[in-house]
Amino acid sequence: MSPAESMPRLELRGLAKSFGAVRAVRGVSLAIAPGEIHGLCGHNGAGKSTLINMLAGNVAPDAGEILLDGAPQSFAGPRDAQRAGIATVDQELSLVPTLSVAENIVLGEVGAGLLRHARRTRRRAAGLLAKVGLEDVDPDTPVDELSIGTRQLVEIARALGRDAGLLILDEPTATLSDVEIERVFRAVRGVAAQGCAVIFVSHRLGEIIGLCDRVTVMRDGDKVLDADIGEVSADGLVEAILGEQLQPAPHRKLDPRESPIALSVEGLGVPGRLADFSAELLGGRIYGLAGQVGAGASDVLRALAGLVPAATGRVRLAERRLPLGDAAGIRSCGVGFVSGDRKAEGLFIGRSILENLTVAQLGRIARGGRIGGREEMQRGRELAEAAHVPTERLGEPVGVLSGGNQQKALLGRYLLHSGVEVLLIDEPTRGVDVGGRAAIHELLREAARQGQIVVFASSELDELLELGETIITMRSGRVIATYAEGSSREDLLSDLTHREGVAA
Amino acid sequence: MRVATWQRFGPLAEWRSLRGLFTGLAALGLVVLVVLALTTDRFLSVENIKAILSSASIVGIMALGLTFITLIGSLVSLAIAATAVMGAMVFLVELNLGLVPALAISMAAGAAVTALQGLIIGAWGANPVILTIGAGFLLSGITTKASGGVIVQPTGGSWETLNSTPLGVPLGVYVMVALALLYQFVLKRTVLGRRVILIGENRDAARAAGMRIPRITAIAFAIAGASFALGGAFLGAFNKGASAQLEGTATFDVIAAVLVGGTLISGGRGSALRTLAGAIVIATISDLLLLRGFDTGAQILLKGVLVVVVVLATWVASGREGTA
Amino acid sequence: MNTARRTAARWLRPETVVPITSFAVVLAAYLLTPVYHGHELVDFDVYNTLQGFASLGLIALALGLTILAGEFDVSVLGMQALGGVLAVKAGADSGLVGILAATAGCAFLGALQGGVIARLRVQSMSVTIGTYIALLGLANVVAGNETLTFANTDASIWINQTVAGLFSPRSLIALGVFALVLVVCATTRIGPELRALGGDRRASRVVGVPVDRRLTALFGVSGALAGLAGAMLAYSNASASLNPGLQPLVLAAAAAVLGGLSLRGGRGAIWGLLLGALAVSLLEQVFNVTALPASSAQIVFGSLLLVVVVVDAPDLRSSLARLQARRASARSAPSAQVKPKAAGG
Repeated sequence: MSPAESMPRLELRGLAKSFGAVRAVRGVSLAIAPGEIHGLCGHNGAGKSTLINMLAGNVAPDAGEILLDGAPQSFAGPRDAQRAGIATVDQELSLVPTLSVAENIVLGEVGAGLLRHARRTRRRAAGLLAKVGLEDVDPDTPVDELSIGTRQLVEIARALGRDAGLLILDEPTATLSDVEIERVFRAVRGVAAQGCAVIFVSHRLGEIIGLCDRVTVMRDGDKVLDADIGEVSADGLVEAILGEQLQPAPHRKLDPRESPIALSVEGLGVPGRLADFSAELLGGRIYGLAGQVGAGASDVLRALAGLVPAATGRVRLAERRLPLGDAAGIRSCGVGFVSGDRKAEGLFIGRSILENLTVAQLGRIARGGRIGGREEMQRGRELAEAAHVPTERLGEPVGVLSGGNQQKALLGRYLLHSGVEVLLIDEPTRGVDVGGRAAIHELLREAARQGQIVVFASSELDELLELGETIITMRSGRVIATYAEGSSREDLLSDLTHREGVAA
Repeated sequence: MRVATWQRFGPLAEWRSLRGLFTGLAALGLVVLVVLALTTDRFLSVENIKAILSSASIVGIMALGLTFITLIGSLVSLAIAATAVMGAMVFLVELNLGLVPALAISMAAGAAVTALQGLIIGAWGANPVILTIGAGFLLSGITTKASGGVIVQPTGGSWETLNSTPLGVPLGVYVMVALALLYQFVLKRTVLGRRVILIGENRDAARAAGMRIPRITAIAFAIAGASFALGGAFLGAFNKGASAQLEGTATFDVIAAVLVGGTLISGGRGSALRTLAGAIVIATISDLLLLRGFDTGAQILLKGVLVVVVVLATWVASGREGTA
Repeated sequence: MNTARRTAARWLRPETVVPITSFAVVLAAYLLTPVYHGHELVDFDVYNTLQGFASLGLIALALGLTILAGEFDVSVLGMQALGGVLAVKAGADSGLVGILAATAGCAFLGALQGGVIARLRVQSMSVTIGTYIALLGLANVVAGNETLTFANTDASIWINQTVAGLFSPRSLIALGVFALVLVVCATTRIGPELRALGGDRRASRVVGVPVDRRLTALFGVSGALAGLAGAMLAYSNASASLNPGLQPLVLAAAAAVLGGLSLRGGRGAIWGLLLGALAVSLLEQVFNVTALPASSAQIVFGSLLLVVVVVDAPDLRSSLARLQARRASARSAPSAQVKPKAAGG
């Protein structure tokens, strides 16, 4: 089927979207033929998610057109997109845990009648499950009994069952084993062979190269590459994703302290998510945990922060045993945690910037339980300066700040001798633009210079390379390898991009 | 990707116009209130103002305590009436020890009973509404049994002090205002108060920041419980006795006062002064309606409408992301 | 994959175990009343239980449906009062008209409320507290601030007459409505969608469930059910009570939790709710028959609610998990070789 003869299944013309001052997608144009598997890559914040959201009907574009089989589309919501024949598998799972697999598969299906046909649905569900290799799963199983990987496969099965003209998969393989990934590929190829167009979003270049016919790379809202898979190499993709800075900043020379503070981690584990993580982390260094969603990097941080009640293992900070599962107790031992989801678990969005900055220091600022207005403002200003947050309007709600400044404000609460010896950050620059990223990286380097143990988890290539002095790669809850100064660049890069991937 | 409510509403303009609508309604409501007040016979008299403040005082005292529970994100307590009754009974029974000891014991009992509820809610995340319903019912049963089903009589005479009217204003009003100022100070200017507000604003963030949520919740509930008992003591003094029939719809009056003051039921936004205003506004409107000859039904109806309007207005104005 | 074990585990889920256990325990308590209280089991007990169920069950159903969807409709109390007043006023000549007026009026107000809650994405509890108060006021206004007596004595007598010795039109209607809701939830997409709303609202919306429409209809239905309950109660008492107090809500909440509904929403079944409501009604009857003082009944119901609420509490499991993890960590011997910080790749 020559592209010139047939109408593209999906065509985007100058699609654009801004959120306030942030231009998430800047005039992207694209064409995907029926039966084409089209890869989409780019670092976080490049605009991929926003693009997908516009296609899924969750967000309305500011400008540009979406055409399906030549017909312009306008979606008022997800139902419209579904009706138009677009099926999406989100990064964030959209399964209702209290319902069964079969119920989830038919939930919200446009065009379904009022009556349920339990047996028919179950049969249909079983068929779809078989397509993704889940023949052994009973369609009546409540979803909350399934593992994350299985749930992901169920979501893919649901999308396959929607009889779509366009199938969008957003990071579908992050939580899957190699065997499961192969099954997904087979299912995707099968669906493409029947004429469905597929958009496959992934960080894993090996998979993109192995599965896709064409690939698009986005960076900072623009499309920077759009080529047949045969015309690009993995290196070429990496270069397109990162832009000019392929070479990370050189490791800084460390100021060796006499006996830096040490965080010893022995056999840290979380049932079902993390197995036997051990490490000796020293003050003054920055450690990067590299892994995608579900790899376990985030779990390590959360377990160390005391937010996982089921965490097992022994963790000692300067010979003092940390009470796993007790976030307040660990905080008082000097461990500060910055969550990957700053809106849900980090900032107090409705409160002022000042209050957000001083939250970890209330005990110090207050005298006899009373918070003095002047003392708080003074301390707040110091912290804001250290965090490079504008100090003029500390009384305003923190929600008015840009993403980058919000993240800085969040980090700021643990700076400047606030009694924090270990700084744990999950995805330090998620939702932060390029300028903010550099500033936040510098903040973390400064914290390390002050002697703190800095541990961050990230799924971003460039961030890991730029910031991490020692990088620990993880997959499926296990440590794969540890790369310190002097390690092979190529090995690290290949590990990070998972180039081995799956054979085509 | 989490998409904020305002984005889902389509064009930003529609959302803004909703906020504009509600702000306009609020302003209009205030104007109507003022006009009505000025044009109603006998409204602007000293006795009338005193009557308003006085009828607001007992509900106000309890509502000020409830503010802590609402601010910390535990919605409301439906055990208010039962705790107030218990407070009244304990107060009257212990009066032979003197006024102050009796009050202290009564408030301590209220604090203890409510703190326990707060501890369970803070530590285990139990549903606060159902928990307080159960606790309230249990407490009612226990107090009725303990009092043998009869009206509890005061064992001393000093309860009359609570009914006194220094400078012609009932003591309860002074207590309400003093409590409002005290609680406002605690909320805005102490570490405890700050933590209460932050926990209510975002519980997950508070946990991630290492706050001791069970302990702080228990303390917030203790303050509320002491206030409920104190309100009960005043009621007991007013009625010269205490029995389970003491509180009619008081629970919802107290809740209404907090809501009308503009404290968000989801927590994190609000203050003691707002609750004070809420209690006074409700009392004022009830008074206005009474003076103008409206019957009880109309008063209750308008009170309910007022709660709904204020709740919706504060919600819209807060710009919070909705329940998805 | 031990399917036998899995099926057993599924039957042991709280949504299934709790209602069956609750009802069984209460039934046992009732059947044993001759033993510990010397009361003979008579048909009248069942009749009385079902009379209580006629109001309590419908209110519990109204509240329970909203709980399943992740909401909490306090206004059912007000709807009940308003329903009674509307029925008494409109049903002076025809009992049927009165009931229809009450049900339709409350359905309309409920749907109005639901529409606002859905559109503004606001938590239903606070709004329904306000509407509860407003509805009480409205009931008072419509009734002219006095307890109305029901003129249509024929309807009053008819609705309470014994049918087959155990039932009455009131209880049959209530049971019939329950059956209707049960059938609708079991055979149409409404059932799973309702649970989806409570289980994960965001996912439901993304996946294409018409959330706003469902919520509006939900509150319309809860209003109608409560209004119907109030109407029938008013007919039964031949008067419309203007303030039912908090008791109906307490009993309805008890019925919901004893029926296996999770207070967080998304979990539970209508049949469980039915058993829960029957259990509470039967328990009330046991209290009647054993002449248990009201205060003791309050203690029992209060404790019951407390126990169930604590057991249902989400973080209770976390605390237990923490204890387990601590013990596991303490038991495992410290590893002889602590993994050294890697010197190279």
